[in-house]
Amino acid sequence: MAETAQALTLAVGDRVVYPNQGVCRVTSVESKEVAGQTLTFVTMKREEDGAVVMVPEAKVRSIGLRKVAGRADVERVFSFLRSDSDKANLDWKQRARTNVERMSQGGLMGLAEVVKGLQVLSELRPLPTKERELYDNARHLLVAELAASLHVAEVDAEDSVDLVLFPPGRERPKRTAEEFRSAAGDEDGMELGEDLLELGGEMDLAPEAEPEEAQAEAEEAVPAPKAKGAAKGKAEKKAPAEKKAAAKKAAPRGEKKPAAKPEKKAAAKPAKKPAAKPAAKKVPAKPAKRK
Amino acid sequence: MIRLVTLDAYDPKVIDRLCKVLYTAFGVGCEHAGDMSLPAGQHEPFDAQELLKALPSPRAYADDKILYLTSRKLKPRSVISGEVPCSGFANQNGPRALVSSAGVKDPEAGLKQIARHAMHQLGHTWELHHCLDPRCAMYPPWTLPYDGGDTFFDTFCRDKSEQRIRLAKS
Ligand SMILES: [Zn+2]
Ligand SMILES: [Zn+2]
Repeated sequence: MAETAQALTLAVGDRVVYPNQGVCRVTSVESKEVAGQTLTFVTMKREEDGAVVMVPEAKVRSIGLRKVAGRADVERVFSFLRSDSDKANLDWKQRARTNVERMSQGGLMGLAEVVKGLQVLSELRPLPTKERELYDNARHLLVAELAASLHVAEVDAEDSVDLVLFPPGRERPKRTAEEFRSAAGDEDGMELGEDLLELGGEMDLAPEAEPEEAQAEAEEAVPAPKAKGAAKGKAEKKAPAEKKAAAKKAAPRGEKKPAAKPEKKAAAKPAKKPAAKPAAKKVPAKPAKRK
Repeated sequence: MIRLVTLDAYDPKVIDRLCKVLYTAFGVGCEHAGDMSLPAGQHEPFDAQELLKALPSPRAYADDKILYLTSRKLKPRSVISGEVPCSGFANQNGPRALVSSAGVKDPEAGLKQIARHAMHQLGHTWELHHCLDPRCAMYPPWTLPYDGGDTFFDTFCRDKSEQRIRLAKS
C-alpha cells in the first residue's frame, strides 16, 4: 500500500517482499548490456528456500515489490486483528477479487485481511478447497513477513497472531449468515465481468458450485464415525441459506486437489496477475529444496 | 522417520502406543530412540525453546524428525501480543520438536491428548501452519476444546503434510 507508492531504492542486503512469493534479500544490483541497452537488474534470493529472482530495476514498482513492513505497519496489523470481526463478502466472486488484490497489492495489512476475513467466514461455514489454500498461503506470507519485521522465529510470529485470533480458553465462535449480511450492507453489489477469468483459475468454480464444494469439504474432513456425529450436530445449526446447500447432495469426494500442487509457492503463483510477471525470473518452477 | 526421545520415565506401553498414533498420522515410521537426561542448568518450568536448543540430537538421517517427550512443565512463551501457554515447541520446518505431557495426569489414559500435541509440534516441523478446523491437531493448542480432541488432521493438513514428507524424501 503506502510502501509501494513510494519510490523504492534497493541496495544489497535489503529485505523486500515480493508479492505472493515472500520475503527476499537483495543480493546484487548491477547493470547489464541487453540488446545494446544498459539495464539495471536487481537480484534477490527468497529467504525461505534460496530461490533466486532477477528483476529489471524499472519493473520493481510495477511488480509491487516493497520493503519488509516496519514496526508501525506491524502495530496497525495487530490492532486490526484485535478489532471487531471483519465480515467477508458472502458473494464468493467479489470476495475472490478483493482477496486477489489484497494478496498482491495490500501489503502486510492485505495479508492480515485475507487471513482474518477467511477465518471469520470459516466460522460460518467450511471454506471451499481453493479458499482454504488461499488462507494457508496468506497465513504463510503473513507469518514470514512478521517474523522478518520483528526479527523473531516464524512460530513466534504465528503464535502472536493466533493468540489474538484464537484467544486462550475460548471456544470457536459460531456465526450466522445474518451477521455477514448486515455487515456487508448492499448485498447484491456490482456485477462482475469476464475479467474474473484473469484470476488464472484461482476461482474456477461455477458460482453455484461454491456452497456445494464447501459442504463436500465438510463431509470430507470427517475422520471417524464419532467425529462425524459431532460434525452433523454442527450442520444442524446452520443458517437457512446454508441448509439449502447442505440439502443438496454433496459432490463426490473431490479426488484430492488438482494434481496435488507440488509446492506452496507454485500454489501462490496462479493468483498473480500476468502483468506482475518479472521479466527475468530465475525461480525454478519448483523452488530448490531447503537447506 | 520420527525418532522419539524420552526425557523422563514412561511406561513402554505408552511409548509404543504414541509411536503407533504418530505413524498413522504422518504415514512415516516412528521408533523410540532411547532416553536422554534433561540438560543441567535448566529448571522446571522449562523454557521450551532453550530446552530444545540445549538437547543433543540422537543419530538420525537428514529427513528424520526428532521428538523429545518430557513430563515436566513448560513456561508460557512471551510473544509480541502476549503470553502463549506452552505444551510443546518446534521451529517451522525444523528437525526437532518438543512436547510435554505435564498437562496429563495419567499418560496411559491421556495418551490421545499427548499424541495430539505431539502431532501439532511435528506438524510444524513439516511446515504446517495453524488450522481453522477445531478438530484438527493443527488448531491452536491453547484453545478450550483442543485437549479433548482426537488425534486427527483434517484433509488440508493431512494432504499438506504428505506432500512435505514426500518432498523431503526426494
Ligand atoms: Zn502451533
Ligand atoms: Zn488442519
